[in-house]
Order: sequence, then structure tokens, then C-alpha cells
Amino acid sequence: MNVIKTTMAAALMATSALSLPTIAQAQDLTMAIAAKSAGQLDPHVSTKTQDKIVFAMIFNGLVRFAPGSMSSDAIEPDLAESWTSSEDGLVWEFKLREGVQFHGGYGELTAEDVVYSLTRAGNPDLSSVSSDYKAFKSVEAIDDYTVRITLSEVIPSVLGVVANYHGGNMVSKKAGEELGESFQTNPVGTGPFAFSQLAEGQFVELVAHEDYFRGAPEIDKITARYMSAASARDLAFQTGELHMIAGSREDRWVDKTSGGDATVAVFEPGELRTLHVNTSKPPFDDIRVRQALAHAINREELIAFAGSKVARGNEAPVPDGYIGHESDITFLPYDPEKAKALLAEAGYPDGVEIPIAITELASLFGPMQVIQAQLSKVGMNIKFDVMEHSAWHKAIRDDVSPLVLYGAARFPVADTYLTQFYHSDSIVKTPTAVTNFSHCDMADDQIVAARSEPNKEMQQQYWSEAQQILVDNVCSVPLFELLQVWALAPEIDLGYELGGSLSLGPVITEKTTLSE
Amino acid sequence: MTTVDTINPEKRSTGEQLLRLARKNKLSTFGLIMFLVIVLAAIFAPLIAPHDPLEQNILARLQDRSPEYILGTDTFGRDTFSRILYGLRISLLIGLTSTVLAMILGCALGIIAGYRGGWIDSVIMRCMDMLLAFPTLITGLFIVAVLGANFVNIVLAITVTILPKFARVARAPTIALKEREFVEAARALGFSDLRIMALHIAPNIVGEVVVLASLWAAYAIRIEAYLSFIGLGVAPPTPTLGTMIRDGFEHILDAPFVSIYPGFAVLLVVLSLNLVGDGLRDAIDPKLRD
Repeated sequence: MNVIKTTMAAALMATSALSLPTIAQAQDLTMAIAAKSAGQLDPHVSTKTQDKIVFAMIFNGLVRFAPGSMSSDAIEPDLAESWTSSEDGLVWEFKLREGVQFHGGYGELTAEDVVYSLTRAGNPDLSSVSSDYKAFKSVEAIDDYTVRITLSEVIPSVLGVVANYHGGNMVSKKAGEELGESFQTNPVGTGPFAFSQLAEGQFVELVAHEDYFRGAPEIDKITARYMSAASARDLAFQTGELHMIAGSREDRWVDKTSGGDATVAVFEPGELRTLHVNTSKPPFDDIRVRQALAHAINREELIAFAGSKVARGNEAPVPDGYIGHESDITFLPYDPEKAKALLAEAGYPDGVEIPIAITELASLFGPMQVIQAQLSKVGMNIKFDVMEHSAWHKAIRDDVSPLVLYGAARFPVADTYLTQFYHSDSIVKTPTAVTNFSHCDMADDQIVAARSEPNKEMQQQYWSEAQQILVDNVCSVPLFELLQVWALAPEIDLGYELGGSLSLGPVITEKTTLSE
Repeated sequence: MTTVDTINPEKRSTGEQLLRLARKNKLSTFGLIMFLVIVLAAIFAPLIAPHDPLEQNILARLQDRSPEYILGTDTFGRDTFSRILYGLRISLLIGLTSTVLAMILGCALGIIAGYRGGWIDSVIMRCMDMLLAFPTLITGLFIVAVLGANFVNIVLAITVTILPKFARVARAPTIALKEREFVEAARALGFSDLRIMALHIAPNIVGEVVVLASLWAAYAIRIEAYLSFIGLGVAPPTPTLGTMIRDGFEHILDAPFVSIYPGFAVLLVVLSLNLVGDGLRDAIDPKLRD
């Protein structure tokens, strides 16, 4: 017996001695993204939530929002060491950092790559954010490490569009030209992690970029799995299979998950949920019906549905925390009696039936069912056509739904939001369409005037005016903002304070570590 | 069992048969009673339900059983018990309508195929074979996905899914019956084929078909639940059992009861129908009569 015991102990020790160093070496981080699959892994093509967080680890901008922050005040040098602008704000020169290496042996980043990237981001045939670069008259390489951007007019934030977000992400010219279309499945950047492989519908794998200019990352490999079912993510997180998961944005979930030793991070930006109203078609072409709609919606109940830890009310069309957000809006309060009266006055005393398209995605479908119940109390009967998420995205851009519940976070300056959702150029089914579902154009003048207004106070005034006009016309009913919610295992140390993240998730940087 | 019975089983009336069955097969009787209770509960849902099934109470969402909410509340704070009662209405209506439709159409096709034979038989039965070749759920899924999810299309999908089974069941006895003397006699009297099929053949196979119908009704209700569960059901807020299970799935870890109770309701309906079906089959199958 003794012999057996000793042998077993020895065997155990041997195995643990063997396995210990491997555990210490393997800094493999696994995480789960709330999506069925990747969108397109090209930062100029995709603005989808599930891709943003991956881009943030693969790419750099000329400047960046300091990790864990999304405030314009926290913009710091990234690929550019320094920059200057002319007095009229129309010419900008960026001095690039030397020796920055692209992934996979694509060489050093030079001014040519920056010119290529910004031109690519401004190309409407390829880029989905080309409108951000409309004012870019030219982007030139002065020498290998100097880039000059000349604008045709002043825009609210030049640094914003060259930061590490959407079109500001810098890609390799050589890789872009060599790979062409297939760049989407093989992105090449300069960030702390390099793309390694994508298993469609399963995971994307990133590996450490040893030559990263801020130093080699501590983490060796990141596996980001695509798991759309919240309960599947929870289960895998609880069993320790995953280090980091996208959470469910409700108080219940936050309370339950933060009970153990895991951390639940609730952070900016708030994604504003807005009910866009098609003002061009009956019954909502009648302002009284739109006012009735606004009066019928109970914001408090919607906030309670998600919970006050993760949701907060907002009556303005521009999200809270964005430059230009107007917090002092005169809005139509919850008043079901008034809603009924207005509806009757508009010629619908017996109520009205409204067929709408809605995604099956719980984060929008849930609140929409609450709204459905609220509206039914005043006689507006919403009939759902429930669709798969991407089919729904297509349908609302085809202008089929009189009401569109949309949630979005954009670059945190009022102009982006107002332009994309409320400027006449952005009206859906037009050549320059973005996401103006309401067909509203009454705030065009203010939106355009604010864009190139050098005086900050005047600019704010234009933006405030625009927001009040949109609320008065009930182009949309801004409802509430949902913050970002992620759960992190205790062994993760992000290496920075997570207050906000424009990439909508905790970004793994070169400083992030995993402890035992 | 008396000698008379064995020699002359057809003499007994259906009523007598049923009574005998009830005495002999207690489990099936229990199933029948259970099914009737469920149907009555569904029919009288507006009288029984303590709450409006669509009334949301956001502040009381995802609560477990309480005196106010007997089976707790769902994601939107709606009363699960009331929703199950109303959900049963839709689920039963869809399940039974589609079974009856499938039974009528399927039997008609099966009898025509069996009676006429030849190329008509081949065409009809090969079409049925084609439908049978797909896994049942896939056929239903395909139809609903293409035509859109609403009450009529779901009924249609389930009907098409189970129709070929009825056609097969009806065809075989028809082939046997058409050779029998009474059919010959009817033909000799100059009755039309339609009359022979409807009045002379159909009544003779109806017993067998009804037995299977009760089993397949359970199956139809399950298909309805499947389709609703994967999001191809009747649009919210209308409650159906499948949609209720689906709605609760998001909270399956922290509030499992939201899915469990409607799931249990599906179980009861399917179980009761299966018990009834089994009993009926035993009663009709001569081999099992003793």
C-alpha cells in the first residue's frame, strides 16, 4: 500500500511539475461577444458592435482615446507623436512615430499608409463612414513621417475622425492593395494584437504583436467567441471557461453576476434607444398622432424594465455625455388621457392599427414589447413583424416600418448623431441615406450651421435649437440610454481604469494581465 | 369477454365500446379526463384567468409563485397562469385545426389514391413520399419561414407536415376495402365513385384514422411549440405555449420557472392526448381485445 501511495504521490508531483510552467506561460484570454458571428473585420466597412471591440485591439489611429475613456479631452498621441493646425483650422499636420511595425511582416507604418487609410475611409464605395470625411479636401504625405490634411470647411472634431475609431483606424497600404476584398477576412494593423484566424460563427483569434510599439503585450492570445445566447455566455463564464463576457443589460443580471468574486463593469457610452417616427406616412404624418404617441410612452416604466443601474432616461435626441447634448429640453410628458384625446382629434377615436418591423434581438424586442403594451392603452395597436436582426436592418432601411426603435452609440459629438439620424441628406432610401428613419428635415439649417461654427457657445446654441425642434415635431421619441455591461473574471487586470469605451467593450491592451 | 363478443364484435355500439374501454383502460380514461379539463380551462380562460394576459406590471417582473401570481410572472411582469390559459387556447386551436385539416385532406387523398390506383395513385403517393422525405420539422419551418409567421400559415405548415401520414394510413385499408362485396354491390348499383368513396369506404376507415389523429394532434401541438420556440410563432403579445417558453429562456438560469410552467403545460396536453390515443388504439386493435 505504501509503495502505491508513494508512487501515486510522485506521479502527481511529476504531472504538476510538468503542467505548472505551461500554466504560467499560457496567457490565453478567452472572451465572449454577444453576436452570432463576426460582421466584416474591416474597420472602414463594419460599424457593427461585435466588430468594434476586435478592431480596438488590432488597430491604432493617429490619436487615441486613452484606454478606458471616451471623452474628447482624453485624446492622446497614438501613431502620431504630435500635430499642429493652421489658425483657420483647415490645415492639419501630423508627425508620425517612427518604427511602428505592421502585423505579419507588412513593414513599417509610413505616411503613405495613413494617406491610404484615410482615403479608403472616405471612399463611399467601400466605407460605411465616408460621410465623416466629406470635408477632407486632400490628405498628403509630406515625407515618410509627416501627413497633411486639408479641409474644405471646418468640422467639429478633426481629431475625432483620425482617432482609433471607425474610419480613423490605420490599415496597411501594402496589405490592403495585396489582399483587396479578402482584407475583410485578414485585417492587418499596428495594434497590440494581430489577427490570427476567424472561424465563422464560432470565434476570432488574435495573437500578441511582439513588435508593438508600446511594448510586447503580456497576453499571448485572445480568443473571442461569438455567443449570442446570454444564458450560454453566463454558463461558460461561471464555469471559468471564459474570462470576460458581454453581459445582459439589466439590474437583475448585474446583481446576480457581481455576487461572487467576478467584477461587473458598467461603463459609458450610453446607447440611446430612440423610437424614430416616420413623419412622411399616415398615420404619423399628422403631428397630433405623433404627439399622442409621445404622450402615451411612459419612460419611467421603460427604465424600470432594464433597471436604474444600467439605464437612465434621456429626453433629448442627442445622448447624454456627447458634446452638444441639451439636457434642458421641453418635452411631451407621459399623459395617456391627453394621448387618447389627441388621437380622437386626429380622426382615430376607435384607435389605430400600426404594423411595424421589429428585430428578434432581445435588447430591442424587449423594450418594444413594453412600448406595445403602453400604446395599446391609448388605442394604438402595434402589430409586429418579427425579423431576424440583419433582415430587420435591411427592412428599416427600405422604409417599411412606420416606427423604428433604434439603439446607437456614435462618436460623442452632437453633429454625428444629428447628421446621421435627422439631416435630410441621411433620409433612408435616398442616394446619401444613412439612418434618418423619420424623414425629418426641419433642423437641417441648425445642424449645418453648428458644424462649421467656430464659436463654441454659438455652436451649442445651434445644437440645442436643433434638438428642441426635433422634439417639438416628434421626429422621434428619445427614450433611455443603456450603458455597457461586461463581466470580468477576478484574474483579469486590464491595466487601466474602465470608465468608458467607444469600442463598447473592455479593450485588452499590451498592459493587460491574467493572474493565476 | 363473452363468446358472443368474440364471434360478433361489430355488433357492439360505439357507446358500449367506449364504456368498456373506460372500465378496462383506466390510464386512458384519466388521459381523456385530463384533456377535457384542459380544453374546458382553455375555453373558459376569460372566466378563470385572474389577470389580463397582456397586462404588464414591470415592477413585478420575473417573480416566482405568490398568492397574487399563482405561477409567477414573466419578463414583462405578466401573470404566467393567465397566459398559460390563453396560450392553451391558441396552441390547442392551432394543433387541433391543423390535425383536422390534415385528417380530412390526407384521408381524401389516400382514399382517392387507393381506390383509383394506377397513375393517380402513383402521383399522389409519390408527392406524399416527397413530403415525408423531409424531417417533419424542416418542412414546417420552411413553410413558415417563406410565407411569414401568422396563425393561418402556421396551421398550414403543420397541416402539410402531417398530411402525408394520414394519406398513407387511409390508402392501405382502401385498397383492401375496394375488393369487398359491399363495394362491388355499390358499384353494380351504379353509384358514382365519389359516393362510394365518401359513403362506403370512408366510414370504414374512420375509426383507425381517428385514433392516429389523437396521437398526431399531440404531435401538432408540439410542432407549434417548436416553431414558436425558434421565433416562428404567432407574433407577441399573443401568448402561445412555445413563445412563453422562448420568452423565459433568456432568464433560464436565474428565473427558470418562467419557461418551466408553460413547458409543463405542453407536457400535460401532449401526455393526455397520447394516453387517449393509446387507449383508442387498444380498443380498436382486435389483437389486443382480449
